[in-house]
Amino acid sequence: MLSVDIKSVSISEEKKRRKILSDISFNIETGKIYTILGKNGSGKSTLIKSLTALLPGEEFTSSGKVFFNEMDLLKCPKEKLREIRKHNIRYVFQDAANSFDPLKKIKYYFDLTNVSPLKIEELLLFFLLPPYKKLSMLHSYELSGGMAQRLLIVLALLANPDLLILDEPTSEVDYAVMNLILLKVKNFVRDNNKSVLIVTQDINFALKSSDYIAYLSDKKLTKFYTRDEFVTSQDDKVKYFIQSFKEISDVSAKS
Amino acid sequence: MSLLKVENISYSVLVKDETKKQFDILKNVSFEVENGEILGICGESGGGKSTLAKVIAGLIKPDNGKIILNSKLNNKKSSPIQILFQNHGEVLNPFRKISSVIDEVLVINRIDKKYIEKERENILNSVGFPKGLYNRRGFQLSGGEQQRAALARLLATNPVLLILDEPFSAQDVESQLKLVKLFKALNTEFKITIICISHDLRILKNLANRVIILKDGEIVESGLTKEVFNNPKEKYTKFLLSAEALNLTYEQIQNTSKL
Repeated sequence: MLSVDIKSVSISEEKKRRKILSDISFNIETGKIYTILGKNGSGKSTLIKSLTALLPGEEFTSSGKVFFNEMDLLKCPKEKLREIRKHNIRYVFQDAANSFDPLKKIKYYFDLTNVSPLKIEELLLFFLLPPYKKLSMLHSYELSGGMAQRLLIVLALLANPDLLILDEPTSEVDYAVMNLILLKVKNFVRDNNKSVLIVTQDINFALKSSDYIAYLSDKKLTKFYTRDEFVTSQDDKVKYFIQSFKEISDVSAKS
Repeated sequence: MSLLKVENISYSVLVKDETKKQFDILKNVSFEVENGEILGICGESGGGKSTLAKVIAGLIKPDNGKIILNSKLNNKKSSPIQILFQNHGEVLNPFRKISSVIDEVLVINRIDKKYIEKERENILNSVGFPKGLYNRRGFQLSGGEQQRAALARLLATNPVLLILDEPFSAQDVESQLKLVKLFKALNTEFKITIICISHDLRILKNLANRVIILKDGEIVESGLTKEVFNNPKEKYTKFLLSAEALNLTYEQIQNTSKL
């Protein structure tokens, strides 16, 4: 469905060019969940933004090709791209509270979806959010961080996109909500034959949720491994990352 | 011997909406902290963890109850209880270089002028703060570096008890592991007793000797880390453990409020 072949993305800082990503290529099939793992600052968010040309052109230069249903997104006219981002490829960004316009009530966002309140209510209920009537009268700044994030996921799901991209979906939520997101994402992919791409540093969530996992570091992305392949990977960086995870969970390591 | 006694702490606030109801954040919380241990306090968001930390550090006056620090064990000159806040970046004065932030504390603690530079280096070294960054200001540092600088400033006050409020959130595993090792070293080498607040059971399993599980302002279970996590007695502890393993069903999540 989505075929990515990015030659390079670089950022200009104080007149210097610095490469952030180079030679990234992968394919996303329908009906599967993909996770890109990586440490802080490895370029995960930059990578997903570059897929639909969301990086500001004055700072970032990207070269390469991103094909979505045989259309090159990086050469796409702006209007068409906006349509695709609205209907086909939906993002849920990290900083949920700042993804809303503080001057607009939540009703504005519900109305934009063209979905009946009844259907919306169903999803709100699933995510343990306040009922439609109450929530639609609030402004975004009246929501807690976790509520804003869940609401963003609800809005993204209402658009019924072909590809849902989640940026650190577990970073600001408690365990109960983490479990909710996991259940919903799996259902979404299974019931509608859609795809999900997650970028995160949460290896636990990746192993539970994903069909395929890749690791991003030093500008490069490994191939997408299956879960079992990933945990037994011989790639040094992947091994080290997994080792840290094991060590921190290991009670016997206690001094 | 117990270093700190927390006795029947209660704290409530008035809800701001039209109902003006009283909301209990902490309900009759009592426990002791042994000298030299690492005590973990865990629970979900809104359970009262951070409020409890502030009460212990004396930043919030509780409605009821007492915080008693064993004076025999506290023979240090200066502030015995220090707290590393969640928003550690904001505690560093943006106008000052890290070196001067640390020096200020040392001067207040009457460290002899000739030793200040050495002492500063010792402290910053012990938290793994790179020497090349001494002349940076707080906002010029990454989140992890800010946290280490803030921690160094706390250590400069020579505390007996260190409270860490969610020190691991928003960090990747490798940085988390480095922090766990650092806190263990502070505990063993500098003999600092530590209370670590975290919702991350995985890390507390590794770090803490004892844990307290807090739910809606009440202690639901406490004991040795191994016992609590391997043989949880309370429903809520069991819930937290399966939530951490991402094994909850939808029904279980819905029923959390009823636990």
